[in-house]
Amino acid sequence: MRYAYYPGCVSQGGTPELFTAMKAVGEALGFTLEHLKEAACTGAGVLQERDPELGDTLNARTFAMAEKRGLPLMTICSTCQGVMGQANYRLKADPEYRTFINKYLKPEGLEYKGTTEVKHFMWVLVEDYGLNRLKEHVRRPLTGITLAPFYGCYVLRPSKKLGYEEHPRRDTYLEQIITALGATPADYSGKTRCCGFPILTMNRTNSLRMAGDHLLEAQETGADAMVTPCPLCHLNLDGQQPEAAAVRKVQLNLPVIHLPQMVGVALGIEPKALGLNKHIVSTRAFAAKVPA
Amino acid sequence: MYQHDVLVIGAGLAGMRAAIEASRMGADVAVITKVHPVRSHSNAAQGGINAAMGGEGSDDTWELHAYDTVKGSDWLGDQDSIEVMAKEAPQDIFELEHMGVIFARDEFGRLATRAFGGASKQRTFYVGDITGQALLHVMYEQLLKAGMRVYEEWFVLSLIKEEGECAGAVAMNMMTGDIEVIRAKAVIMAAGGIGRVYEPSTNGLICTGDGMALAYRIGAPMMDMEMVQYHPTTLKGNGALLTEGARGEGAYLINKDGDRFMKKYAPNKMELASRDVVSRSEAIEIQEGRGVDGCVYLDCRHLGEKLIRQRLGQIAELALEFANVDIVKNPVPIRPGMHYIMGGIKTNADGASYVPGLFAAGECANVSIHGGNRLGANSLLETVVFGRRSGKAAVEFARSKAKPVRISETMLVEQQKAKIQKLMDQPYPGYTSARVRLEMGKIMDKHVSVFRTEQGMKEAGDTILRLMQQYHKLSVRDHGKVYNWNLFSTLELENMLDVAEATCMSALARKESRGAHSRLDFPDRNDKEWMKHTLVYKAEGGPKIDYLPVVITQWPPERRTY
Amino acid sequence: MKTVNLKVKRFDPATRKSKFQDYQVEVDDSAAVLDAIIEVREYQDETLAVRCSCRSAICGSCAMRVNGHAKLACMTKVSSVSPNGETIVVEPLGNAEPVKDLVADMGPFWAKVKQVQPWLKPSLPAPDREYIAPQEAMQDLVGAVNCIMCGACVSDCTVLEVDKNFIGPAALAKAYRFVGDPRETQTARDERLSQLSKYGGIWDCTHCYECVQVCPKDVAPMERILDIRRAAVAAGFRDNNGTRHSDSFARSVKHTGSLDEFRLLPESLGLDDIAAQLKFVPTALRAIAKGKVPSPLHHKRPGAEHVTRIFDEMEKE
Repeated sequence: MRYAYYPGCVSQGGTPELFTAMKAVGEALGFTLEHLKEAACTGAGVLQERDPELGDTLNARTFAMAEKRGLPLMTICSTCQGVMGQANYRLKADPEYRTFINKYLKPEGLEYKGTTEVKHFMWVLVEDYGLNRLKEHVRRPLTGITLAPFYGCYVLRPSKKLGYEEHPRRDTYLEQIITALGATPADYSGKTRCCGFPILTMNRTNSLRMAGDHLLEAQETGADAMVTPCPLCHLNLDGQQPEAAAVRKVQLNLPVIHLPQMVGVALGIEPKALGLNKHIVSTRAFAAKVPA
Repeated sequence: MYQHDVLVIGAGLAGMRAAIEASRMGADVAVITKVHPVRSHSNAAQGGINAAMGGEGSDDTWELHAYDTVKGSDWLGDQDSIEVMAKEAPQDIFELEHMGVIFARDEFGRLATRAFGGASKQRTFYVGDITGQALLHVMYEQLLKAGMRVYEEWFVLSLIKEEGECAGAVAMNMMTGDIEVIRAKAVIMAAGGIGRVYEPSTNGLICTGDGMALAYRIGAPMMDMEMVQYHPTTLKGNGALLTEGARGEGAYLINKDGDRFMKKYAPNKMELASRDVVSRSEAIEIQEGRGVDGCVYLDCRHLGEKLIRQRLGQIAELALEFANVDIVKNPVPIRPGMHYIMGGIKTNADGASYVPGLFAAGECANVSIHGGNRLGANSLLETVVFGRRSGKAAVEFARSKAKPVRISETMLVEQQKAKIQKLMDQPYPGYTSARVRLEMGKIMDKHVSVFRTEQGMKEAGDTILRLMQQYHKLSVRDHGKVYNWNLFSTLELENMLDVAEATCMSALARKESRGAHSRLDFPDRNDKEWMKHTLVYKAEGGPKIDYLPVVITQWPPERRTY
Repeated sequence: MKTVNLKVKRFDPATRKSKFQDYQVEVDDSAAVLDAIIEVREYQDETLAVRCSCRSAICGSCAMRVNGHAKLACMTKVSSVSPNGETIVVEPLGNAEPVKDLVADMGPFWAKVKQVQPWLKPSLPAPDREYIAPQEAMQDLVGAVNCIMCGACVSDCTVLEVDKNFIGPAALAKAYRFVGDPRETQTARDERLSQLSKYGGIWDCTHCYECVQVCPKDVAPMERILDIRRAAVAAGFRDNNGTRHSDSFARSVKHTGSLDEFRLLPESLGLDDIAAQLKFVPTALRAIAKGKVPSPLHHKRPGAEHVTRIFDEMEKE
């Protein structure tokens, strides 16, 4: 299990516990992750909006780095995954476009030939690693725990450009992983919706309303925690949960954990080594409920 | 009660164009429609809109356009009206462009054209294969801009006739069930075609001949109702339309042996002969065992993926969605399918029907452009040219009137309430209106279709009469006020049965073959006896048939070959 | 033939209550969900209300939620949503009030369309013939003109769920159809872009791709919204958090290869907007207490000079 590793900006900034947790989990599962330290930000959709070709060039550069190593690329951020996945879709589909983009990579000695696979850790677990193999590593099954999945838009939509033709059930992986770890997935309509983060600075009220609605719905299922493969969602759902509660005038107290943290807990890794102490909404009750 | 100078019934292209013209002239105009304007069936026109634009490097003329149309009509179109349309077409295209239609362009940024069936020159302006949709939405934009009153999702129950003149309509607000009287000094009927009289049909479920039946019932005759067009390329399975534009772009028709069979039937124009000719050819191929599963094939493979995506994207999508065929890679099974009616409410070139105050435009009208067979891309043109002209004429008529209210509003409303109440009070007869419609549609498709015989048409006529009896026993079991589909579909069925009967009787009467009316028992065109229009009037004891000479200006009848 | 199990959400206008009702019908193997619904209303339950007409995905009448997502019922095959005979759940469009059963109130939808003044405002007087316009521009607009106003995008729009003032994906895609039209006058275009840059407009889209996902005609409304954003910024409508956010984002990536989260928030809000900044203080303090605020010393990633170069080269073009 060797990957070119693209952790993304936020796991190295606003949610450092994600980076920590992935490192610990990767080691425990026997992953070799070659961190592409020179890779740039994916553009997160923001740069694409300014200039689609610029966005695709930055990502082609990253793909070329992985290609050079002969490795598939692994991300741990739904947003990075979606943005890169779409860029890759365009670059793979159109050799002429690739030639145009490669012009800008040449001075650095890079060229993207269109062979790199880009996969979120969530997809890697199900498609490459295998849930049965994962189960073998579980030391502390999450029995009796209910977890509310929250995907993040960019690993779901637009499905046409995100490999759903080949892997049509990618919109159920979070539940599959939750189940494999021994927990029960909560079902609620907000799990595939938007957390509101992208409009945080444009319309904070709406942003918080979205976060608040999904958190409340998840909380009302009786979930012990929410789990997300997207650190940007996490910034809103955890980082601003008190504000979201205030905007919606409700009580919210739902820990929001990163996907690798959930896996890590089940693998028996200490909560602190997974950064579970770094959350705004305390994860203590959740961690305590995990059977020893 | 509501009151307007002009009331337009129907909000497709013809209706909206008429309303916009009337509004421009300063009249108080309202539009009434049973569906939101952009749901109208004008949407379904795919290929384009004709005009002989002339201009630099073109040797096309309005005369050629008119001649092609006359020939396409099998010399049943009125040549004075056809001349009007062909002459005015370019200006109407420019107007559409000025309104915002994103017509395809040539390398100089000017309007581009594509080839179309039955045309001697390339003169079809288009927006990909969504021309009707592109036009309809732009016309709706103009309607919004004009800020017109739209009675949206209102169902017209009857036309008001006072002292021999049309004076408005009685209608139900479909969202509340309230019945209201809308008086108008002039009414423009633009309620579209009759597709659902046939099963299957390329037409939408809303195409139920309402406008024709409403006009027919107040004494306006319909003309050439036997002339029903079967489109050569309707998709196997759900019968969806695949544009003639595909053949215009060069697609082939092939039989099971891969032969371009049109070389036998129309050696010059091949796939781009008139629709009646192509549909008949396909029917023969299928009958004689050279089809597959009741179909022949439309072959687009040689057009290449790029052209298909850019200009035929919608039909590629339809073929994939509904027949599971990728037209880039495989020929798609198609067959002739009921598509359009050339006949309709008899009008002059200003849209005036035989009932003063009642105008008509678009498919429900018969200005007599299409005669025995409509050329592709002339229908969109007809809607804008004659929509505009009828809008103008209706305002002029309205201005000459200061109409006092005579029949009481209460009486008009009560009549309709009583009729509806009767439908609701009757016991369930053991069948639904849909069952009656299905039987009507099947028999029409069987006997009043591509090839016809005396015996078959009589059987169809008898069946329609029997179904009319059954109709009177129908029960509307939904007694709700809001969006009562059960009620509307039953009332639509009444309209369709009237139209079906008129079509059968008109077809039985015409003892020759002309245009879409192709009789196995009278296989030849007979100009001596039948170079005339069929008029049909509603009367006690069944439709009354009458005739009217065809207007010839400069193109005497010729043998028709392609 | 096969059996279809439909679970239809029915709304009774008399009692204003909704309930699910189950139906079972036989349809062709190739049938669409709409065919099954029509079969029900024609032969089983004539009181079932639904809008539909063309059955060819062109009239836009039959948009509804099928298994939770907005779709055109006529182009949704039974076999695709119920491959093994699973029950198909059918509901009216979201973000709209039901009128009866599957018929939703589209009034607010059309009001939003009207709000963007959806008609061409070309330079006048009009030429004698056509306006000269490049085919590429017309072809670009075909994407937006493909819209059949079915309302699927609005149904599943996540912003409309929390704020009814958002103009919404359909009307904004419609607006793009004019913004991108070379026949519009500069004045008209600027006026549009100015209006669309305000609250409820382009910057309120949360980029969730729901509209792109459900659009049956590949209009990709969100992409059209982004097209308008680009046009608005280029036309100088820059005094908004969206533009500041984008600028700050691009600046940090360009110079360091990665996102400088420490600067992004204050720069987006506008450094002079102290009130807005203050509102984020509690959030920031909590994060600081947990030791997770990004470092103010934002280091360049190795190779950042190449990122800068790519920006420079592409910005020049």
